[in-house]
Order: sequence, then structure tokens, then C-alpha cells
Amino acid sequence: MSEGADNAFVVEGRMALPYQYFAGATGSTFIVALRDEHKILGVRCEKCNKTFIPPRQTCERCFADLTDNWVELEPTGKVTGFTVIRYAEPYQPKTPPYVLALIQLDGADTPLAHILECGDVDNARVGMRVRAVFADEPKDNILEIRHFEPAGE
Amino acid sequence: MREKDSDQELIVSRQVLSIPQRFATGPAMGRFLRELRDNKRIMANKCPKCGRHQLPPREVCAVCRVEATEWEELGPEGTVRDFDVVYYASPDPLTGDTRETPYVACWADLDGTQGAAPLWHLLDAPDLSQVRSGLRVRVVFAEERTGRIEDIQHFEIIE
Repeated sequence: MSEGADNAFVVEGRMALPYQYFAGATGSTFIVALRDEHKILGVRCEKCNKTFIPPRQTCERCFADLTDNWVELEPTGKVTGFTVIRYAEPYQPKTPPYVLALIQLDGADTPLAHILECGDVDNARVGMRVRAVFADEPKDNILEIRHFEPAGE
Repeated sequence: MREKDSDQELIVSRQVLSIPQRFATGPAMGRFLRELRDNKRIMANKCPKCGRHQLPPREVCAVCRVEATEWEELGPEGTVRDFDVVYYASPDPLTGDTRETPYVACWADLDGTQGAAPLWHLLDAPDLSQVRSGLRVRVVFAEERTGRIEDIQHFEIIE
């Protein structure tokens, strides 16, 4: 190359992505109850006999309006599935390795995805009994629950 | 839709993600950015066959497909060909910040150019009604230069 690669260099930069997420009326009620009362709310469809979390405005089966059918769920539940995150990239909620689990709370029919802290990641098991640990500081998002940990029942 | 309690607290999350990225200049852009940073010069490369300038430079003449190895300094003065007065600024992809509006961006043909695309940059125009095509402008370099196009701070109007 006659020009010579000596002229080439690398510009270190950052790319900014501004975004705005609106939780909606239903999502806001859910997060405010987590933050202010440490209560985990789901919504219930009596007709289908199902309790959903995260809460939703309409039943996914019969499309009934569930806006006011709030029910409080237990902060305990069991692991129905999990994955171990082993790669690191910006904007993960924790430093890998960590466990993301599907947790079916007592009283709910659908699982909630959240972080599971069980010491070594190899300790995670399907069927494990777990309990929600709430954040010390207001977060205004799902990290109002900091993580789940073994319930030690 | 059901009518909701109007004093319900609604959760909105606003964030700016800032993602690290690396840009490899290659030889031609490397020379261009290096000259901005170290010598406050705007360098275009020139096609040995058709004599056309390329700004920003590229390795090969886009018309003749031959390697463009000669370099010449253009500007720093030039003539506005076209401009935009911007009243709604979208966020800067590098910072997430939004410029104060209104602002002016222009495309200026730098003095000495032969066939190069006009250089786009901000135009510092205290009086918007002054801005027109044909306006004479000069490049103002940033105090701190790091080898990016922002090493040119803006164009200023020559009185």
C-alpha cells in the first residue's frame, strides 16, 4: 500500500442511545406496590381460574378486562427453569456469572423471570424454593425486587 | 379503555445508554483526521487520473477506480452552497445530548476544491437572517483535538 498504513489509527468513541420506557397504568401500579409496600401484585381472571404475573390488562385466554382484579402474591415461590449468564457485556444487571430464573410465586399460575442468588451458580435447581429480597433504594423498575434467594424452609 | 384514577403515579424510565465503540480510520481517513488534529489542516486527496479532490478522502477515486495518493490542503475558507436551519434537534448519537435550537448546519465548498463534495458542518450564525448560499465562511478548529470531525468546531462567517 503506497499510502502506508502508518496513517491509520483507532478513534475510541461512545454511542449514546437515549430511550424512554413507559410502564403503563397496569405496570405502574405493579411497580409502585413493589416500591412502596413491598407487595407483589398479580391479576386474576376468575373465569379462567388463572393468576398472572407480571400483571396484564386483559386475560390472555378470554380477553376479559382484568384492570381491577388485583391479587397480592406471596414473596415465595419455586424455580421452574433457569439459565446461567456467563458472558459479560455492558448494561447487565449483575457481573456474570449469575443465574436468571423463572420463578412461579405461590398463588401465581405464570412464572416471573428474575435474578436468583444462590451462592455458586451450580447450586441452582429446578424446584428450588425461593424468596424475594427487596431493594433498599427506590428503583422504579422490576429491580425493586433485588433478587430471589433460597427460602431456607 | 376504562377511566383511570387521574392521580395515579405513572412510571416512566428515561435513560441514556452509552455504548463503547471503536472506529478504525484506515490510511486515508487516518491521514485526514491526523492532519485536523495535529496541524489544523483540511486535507483532501486527489485522483492522479481525473484530478478530482475527495473530501472526506477515500483510498480509491470513486470515478476512475485508481488509487488516490496525492494530498492537497483545502480551505480553510469556503463558500456556503446549501444550509439547514434546524428547529428540532434529534439527539447527538455520540453523546445523547440535544443541541440548542435553532442552529444552522451548512455544506460549504472549500477554496481550492476541484470536484470534492462540500464539507458539512455547523455554522455559527448569531443572526439567522444573515445565512444564505454564497456566504463566505471559515473553519474554526477546536482547542482540544482528538482526531475526529469535531476537531472542526464549526464554520464562522467572514465579515
